[in-house]
Amino acid sequence: MSDKPVQTSPLQLRDRGDIVLRIEHLSVNFRAGKQTVQAVSDLSLDVARGETLGLVGESGCGKSTVGRAIMQLPPPTAGKVLFQGQDLGLLSGEALRQTRTALQMIFQDPISSLNPRRKVRDIVAEGLQIWGRPSQQARVREVMEAVGLDPDAVADRRPHQFSGGQCQRICIARSLALDPDVLICDEPVSALDVSVQAQILNLLEDMKQRYQLTMVFVAHNLAVVRNVSDRVAVMYLGKLCEIGDTGSVYARPAHPYTRALLASIPDMNPLSRHQQDGLPLLHGDLPSPANPPSGCRFRTRCPNAQSLCAEKEPLMQAVRQTVQNDPQSKATVEVSDHFVACHFPL
Amino acid sequence: MTPPEFKEQPLLLDVRNLTIRLNSAAGLVHAVEDVSFVLREGQTLGIVGESGSGKSVMARSLMNLLPRRSVAQRQGSVVLSGREISALSERELQKLRGAQVAMIFQDPMTALNPVLTICVQVSEPLQQHLGLSKQAARQRTIELLDAVGIPDAANRVDQYPHQLSGGMRQRVVIAIALACDPALLIADEPTTALDVTVQKQILDLLSRQQTQRRMGMLLITHDLGVVASRADIIAVMYAGRLVELAPATTLFSAMRHPYTEALFNSIPRISDPGHTRLQAIPGRPPQLHNSSPGCAFAPRCQYAQQRCHRETPPVVVAESSIETAKPTEHLHACFFPVAKSASGEAN
Repeated sequence: MSDKPVQTSPLQLRDRGDIVLRIEHLSVNFRAGKQTVQAVSDLSLDVARGETLGLVGESGCGKSTVGRAIMQLPPPTAGKVLFQGQDLGLLSGEALRQTRTALQMIFQDPISSLNPRRKVRDIVAEGLQIWGRPSQQARVREVMEAVGLDPDAVADRRPHQFSGGQCQRICIARSLALDPDVLICDEPVSALDVSVQAQILNLLEDMKQRYQLTMVFVAHNLAVVRNVSDRVAVMYLGKLCEIGDTGSVYARPAHPYTRALLASIPDMNPLSRHQQDGLPLLHGDLPSPANPPSGCRFRTRCPNAQSLCAEKEPLMQAVRQTVQNDPQSKATVEVSDHFVACHFPL
Repeated sequence: MTPPEFKEQPLLLDVRNLTIRLNSAAGLVHAVEDVSFVLREGQTLGIVGESGSGKSVMARSLMNLLPRRSVAQRQGSVVLSGREISALSERELQKLRGAQVAMIFQDPMTALNPVLTICVQVSEPLQQHLGLSKQAARQRTIELLDAVGIPDAANRVDQYPHQLSGGMRQRVVIAIALACDPALLIADEPTTALDVTVQKQILDLLSRQQTQRRMGMLLITHDLGVVASRADIIAVMYAGRLVELAPATTLFSAMRHPYTEALFNSIPRISDPGHTRLQAIPGRPPQLHNSSPGCAFAPRCQYAQQRCHRETPPVVVAESSIETAKPTEHLHACFFPVAKSASGEAN
């Protein structure tokens, strides 16, 4: 592969007035010894106000790195992150910190992301104190009540006295204290007990309504992402392979990888056990991101790969669908808001 | 209580009234309370529970793998192919482990020794239990790696664990477990640390091997979806107790225990439209330090009544075993079992 990434035309970016977050040609490289790992490679997407974007893919596909790169933690190697039109990469020091209060993040492991020596009250209030916001006590009470914690009972306790689910509530309260516009959730429920996951997912949905949040939701659990997202972006080995309206992507996946991911979800129907072998299966493991395959990065595991896939990297294109009224005709129409990077979309 | 009877196959594992209490800094932990079940040859029993439900402690205790000092109390019996496990000496147990019973753990990264080659680790049980020569064991290792789907097994055999991906490492762990053709395979969250696409591969591999070798399998997981289509019987554990046990099809079509129902309903479904409000279970799983009377799920149960907080419900046979075609039993531990069908449509 050449050193210069192929410039895909970011077809999937929308020209709308209410775009809060816009990522253009984002690349993040890490040094690993002598090698350079391309964790994210030429990724473009946007998130509109009040929308939840789900970011899915296997571990190592770069989905968490995208979340962090939005926060400039660390700043991307190349590409732009525009927050309300402002290029975060051009801001530095104080200005970046100031702007970043509007973007907050919650993480996978709620217990290790809280300082064990501090009281819950101080953890939630820290952002307010740093920025000298007015009426801090009242704000702390408000967000704690919003996330379902009783401030009188818990404010003076420390994180170790809480369960994982409660700790995630504290993390959410902390992230909401500064009244952010964007909440980036990096696997917020995957460390929680099954019976507690639904509580936190419902809470995030409530908080989104109450505080008019725009969310980026990074997760590997496709059912969870289906539930929370308006749009979904599927990543593979640092590349965006498919993006679009969640209903459309789940109902008619256009990328063979998306289809394989969906087929891998354990079936809740005990009667389906004999049908399983008919589903398309993904063979092998993720190739090393330090040395990704040429052309389409998915081709080494793709059941439909042809020689073109090794030669040329597929560009993002609108998904087309045959006209439904007339099954005979070969005419196709573009599906609105559904894009795929594949030479031979399904 | 009467374990469910599957007349066709000989009994492999018979666990009766197993109770385990562990020492901890905070006092006695009631990890497993009065658990009974049977497993027949070639069957898969799925054990579903959240963290802290006692499922892993139970699995480890079957082979006496719990650290001796941490076990404060152990009651009940575990009979494997007619032999009572607790009556065996450590030497006899050693002979059993890896040969008749094999275990697969959650984390393939830590289950393998990082400084030994794959060959050494897979060969060990072959040389130990089957008495194969080094040369023969190596040959058998390559065959095993091949059988668990490791490409280029003849070269991979001399690699170290760090040279393999997570999915490949779990395959190696499975190869070690299968090495001596065990009669019983205990898989404790075998795919939790893996990606969904790899999870499916590994579960398919386990199912295939299990069918070929006619092994009995205990598949322990927190994910109802993992066992739904792969287990013959499903046991649901909560707070150290078995709260429901039924053939998989019966469980999903007619679940009786409110916890099973609540757990099933709280899981987001692919088939549901976006932003569907989830039916969350309030509260959280209990601590197992005190043995307060009453049903452990009662504080979170929407159907709980006075009696549930006072008495511990015994395990009983569901009175309306609608599946009359099969000689199977449906057990639950609830005074006020739910009657309606919670499932219905496929996922």
